[in-house]
This record gives sequence, structure tokens and C-alpha cells, in this order.
Amino acid sequence: MKNKTLWIVLAVAVVVGLYVWSGYNGFVGKNEAVNNQWAQVEAQYQRRFDLIPNLVESVKGAMKQEQAVFGAIADARTKYGGAVGVDAKVAAANQMEGALSRLLVVMENYPQLTSSENVKTLMVQLEGTENRVSVERQRFNDLVRDLNTAIKRFPSNLIAGAFGFNERAYFEAVKGAENAPKVNF
Amino acid sequence: MFKRAAIFFLIAALPLFAHAYTSPGKPTGFVNDFAGMLTGEERVMLESKLAAFEKETSNELAVVTIPNLGGDTVENYAVKLFEEWKIGKAKKDNGVLLLVSRDDRKVRIEVGYGLEGALTDAQSYWIIHDVITPNFKEGKYYAGLDGAATNIIAATRGEYVPSSSPQKEATTSLFLEYWYFIPLAFMWLASILGRSKSWWMGGVAGGIAGIVVGVIYGFLFSGIVAIAALIPLGLLFDFVVSRSYNRYATGGGPIPWWIGGGRNGPGSGGSFGGFGGFGGGRSGGGGSSGNW
Repeated sequence: MKNKTLWIVLAVAVVVGLYVWSGYNGFVGKNEAVNNQWAQVEAQYQRRFDLIPNLVESVKGAMKQEQAVFGAIADARTKYGGAVGVDAKVAAANQMEGALSRLLVVMENYPQLTSSENVKTLMVQLEGTENRVSVERQRFNDLVRDLNTAIKRFPSNLIAGAFGFNERAYFEAVKGAENAPKVNF
Repeated sequence: MFKRAAIFFLIAALPLFAHAYTSPGKPTGFVNDFAGMLTGEERVMLESKLAAFEKETSNELAVVTIPNLGGDTVENYAVKLFEEWKIGKAKKDNGVLLLVSRDDRKVRIEVGYGLEGALTDAQSYWIIHDVITPNFKEGKYYAGLDGAATNIIAATRGEYVPSSSPQKEATTSLFLEYWYFIPLAFMWLASILGRSKSWWMGGVAGGIAGIVVGVIYGFLFSGIVAIAALIPLGLLFDFVVSRSYNRYATGGGPIPWWIGGGRNGPGSGGSFGGFGGFGGGRSGGGGSSGNW
């Protein structure tokens, strides 16, 4: 009888130990996945910022009276360059998104521009980049949700509490910026 | 028994329905004409072209037509379908999805990460604009899709040298894909171990499982830990099921639900017939969209 109790206690201890072990490793993995996905989002932001000067250069000449838009874009670009930390980068990226969609709207008043093959190619690239940003952002939020759910859920919340895993913030896009700017040719 | 198995399969199938978009089904080849826009002969011709392309370069080009998007955007649908089917080889991410939604008159070329350099957004746009749209406007669906495939193939040429054994790479994530068969394996083990009177077999099974874990994870440490943990677990497991089976066999006690026939192993997922499935590639929203 005593022997049996010993076995049961031992088995329970082993199961609990295994659970804590895999739970801790699970949190480490989820956290890293979120970090990695954030790097993906930033890579797409960088791509967008690299593309913009080309587009601006090729349309600037024909759009001399639209200096305000170009000023806003240049401003957002400088801000992103100096941004440190996730929140500042998101804010600068959102500002850029706003300025960019304004530029695309204004460009529709210049049919000779949008019919140029060069400008069209740049706009297609920009559109593709916007789509990439939204895909990577969505995946970022999916991973954060995965992590946050595990942190809140019983009994994994006990492991999270014991080892100090904290919830991560979702990526909140500015209102109306969830959709890539629509480009009409 | 059957009820429990049915419930179990329902739970096991749940992850498949987790997406907001509705899946068109499983891929049956490189050409998946869910909207019925091609004739059988055209389908075969396009399929053989894409299969030859895959054999030569290991790039996977999937052509998919669907009746409608169900209210989703073509961009989102393409990303989700790409995620579900994993077009392209794992690690290389060299897949391309050419998606056509018949009723919405929308088309998208979604490019895997690995081919973004070769098949750019701008190239995708021109392929849609110059090849697909004009042909589709005249109802020449095959001409549009075949021409687009030719152009996509031309754009991707030289990006990858064909690897010597492209089939092997898909197996690495098999364990993660089929984790929900583990309880089935437990049931099977239980029905075998339960019938055997002794319960040292469970310890042996636990030890073997521990060695397998060690081999999978490749660490000496985790292997030893797993062996040390799983042997007593296996002993306990065998002890419990043996006792409960004994009680059932000697006439007392309820019939344990796991006793089964012991032959209900996992159903094979490979019902593609010639087509081995896509290789585990990913995409990140690259490519372009258009309409006709």
C-alpha cells in the first residue's frame, strides 16, 4: 500500500515537473516569435521608406504646387529615422502612412503622371509594400494574441507569473489605415 | 466508443477552421480549378507544365480558381490560402500562388518570400495587366492563365538551382502537424498494454519513447531527462490500464473506452494521387492584384 502511494506521488511530481519545463520553454519560444515578427514588420517599414524617395523624385517635378505633401512625407521620414523604441516607430510609421495616402490622392489629379510607366511601377511597388506591412502586422498581432492568451489562461498563468513573462502590446493601426491606400490607374 | 471517437475527431479538426476565411479545400495538384473555368484537357496541359517547372527548378506555382471570395479581399484570401497550403519548399519559400476569383472578377499573384527578388510586385502587376486582363475580358481563361504561367516561369528562372532531393524537406514539420494523433497512439498503446498481464512493458515503452524524444530534439540532456521521466510514467500507465482491463475481463467494472479494436490508427493524409502536396513555403503579401 505504501509502495503504491509512493509511486503515485512520484508520478505526479514527474508530471508537474514536465509541465513546468515545457511551459517555460513554450513561453520563451512564444516571446521570441513575437520579437522575430516585430523585426519582420520593421523590415517592411524600412522597405517602404526606401521606396518613397524614388517615387517622390519622379513626381516632384510635375507637382510643383503640392509642396505641403512632400514636406509632410519628408518630415515623417526624418521622424522615423530618429525613432527609438517600438511606440515611437509605430507613431512615425503611421504618420508616414497618412502623408503617403494624401500624396496618392493628390496624384490622381495629374493623369499625365499616373499614365507614366515609371510612376506606375513605383506605385505598384508601394502598394505591394503596404500589403506586406499589413500582412506582417496581422501576423504580429496573431503571435501576441497567442502569447497573451497563454499568459492569462490557467494553469499556464502560474508559470508565466513565476518566471515573469508579461503580456505584449498589440499593434494598433491608426483608424482607416488598416487598408492599403487604393491606387487607381 | 464511436461517439467518443467522433467527438475526438471533431476536436482534432478544429484547428483547420480557425481562419476567418473559408478554405476552398485541399490541393489536388498545381492546378486547382474550384470555379470550373478550364476544360479537363486544359487543366491537364497546365498541370503538366507546372509539374515540369517544379521538377526542374523546385519552384512551386499553384494556379487556383475559386467561385467567389465570400466577402474577403483578394489580398487577404491569397495570404490565408498560401498559409494553409504552404506553397513552395520549406526554408526556400519559393512558391507562387496565382489566384482567380470568378464572380468577383479579381485576380492576384501572391509571391513567396524566396521569390520576391525575382518576381517583383511590378512584374506581377504587368503580368496581370498585359496577359491576364486582356485574355480574361474575352473569356479566354486558359490563354490568360497559361500565358501568365509562362511569364511567371520566365521571371523566376535562375533564382534557384534545383535541389537534389526536394521531397525530403517537408517531413521536418510532420510531427507538429500531426500532434493530435498522439492521443490515438495512447489509446492503441493502452489496448495492447492493458491486455498484457504484466506491467513492465509500459516501462519499456516509456524508455523507448524517451529515446525517441532524445533523438528528435538532439540533446543528450533532454534525452536523459525524457527517459528518466517516461519510464515511471509508462510503468504507471501500464499498471493502471492493466488493472482496469483485468477488472473488465473478469466480469466486473465497466468496459474501458480505450479498449477498442486497436487498429484505428491515424488515417493517412496523402490522398493526392501522384501530387505529393506543397512543400511548406511561406509568403508575406508580396505580389500584385488586379481585375478584369
